[in-house]
Amino acid sequence: MTAKKIKNIFMQGPVPASFIGESIQQHSAKTGIGGHSIFLGQVRADAIDGKEVSAIEYTAYEEMALAKMHSIREDIFAKYDLICMHVYHSLGKVSAGEICLFVFTSSAHRKAAIDACNETVERIKAELPVWGKEIFSDDTSQWKVNK
Amino acid sequence: MEINIIIFGQLRDLLGKGLVLNDVADTDSLTRVLNEKYPGLAHSTYRIAVDKEIVTENTLLPQNCTVALLPPFSGG
Repeated sequence: MTAKKIKNIFMQGPVPASFIGESIQQHSAKTGIGGHSIFLGQVRADAIDGKEVSAIEYTAYEEMALAKMHSIREDIFAKYDLICMHVYHSLGKVSAGEICLFVFTSSAHRKAAIDACNETVERIKAELPVWGKEIFSDDTSQWKVNK
Repeated sequence: MEINIIIFGQLRDLLGKGLVLNDVADTDSLTRVLNEKYPGLAHSTYRIAVDKEIVTENTLLPQNCTVALLPPFSGG
């Protein structure tokens, strides 16, 4: 496999639904694809000690996260028969109800796309140096803990 | 020898965004120096990355390296 350029995955603010729609549309030219799998992470309005999360503010060690994402991508392509994969993660403030993570895998047959998408999401959550700070409606905050 | 240290997540509340330390030979001495300077740090959970690679054992700090203190990740 040829060495691929490190891709940026970060976008400032939420991932717009229109962006997701356009990403799907762009794949209509790739007619070898028979199945897509998409994961969308949405900011949940968790209630913690009687207060509601109104947004999450994301920060990242971007250089390290992009290098790590590059190696995850290489592992996933080596393991599954994928045609393509796209990953976008928000930075900055994302309000409850908005999309903060978009993982999109495509393959000739559905199983590879579905399994690759799941594994990529799990690895992103466990391995990317990204931190979320939960902002409550009264402007107090606490650091998010991944489950 | 200067070591650049960058801080992320909840550790920023304690140490700020970053600091520069002199004459720290390895990651164990770095942890010792930081724990003296920031008493709350010893109770925090974090990993250390040297030039973007997470280290799990005491590691020599090369000249002009960047060390990052990484609390548990919470992306996605």
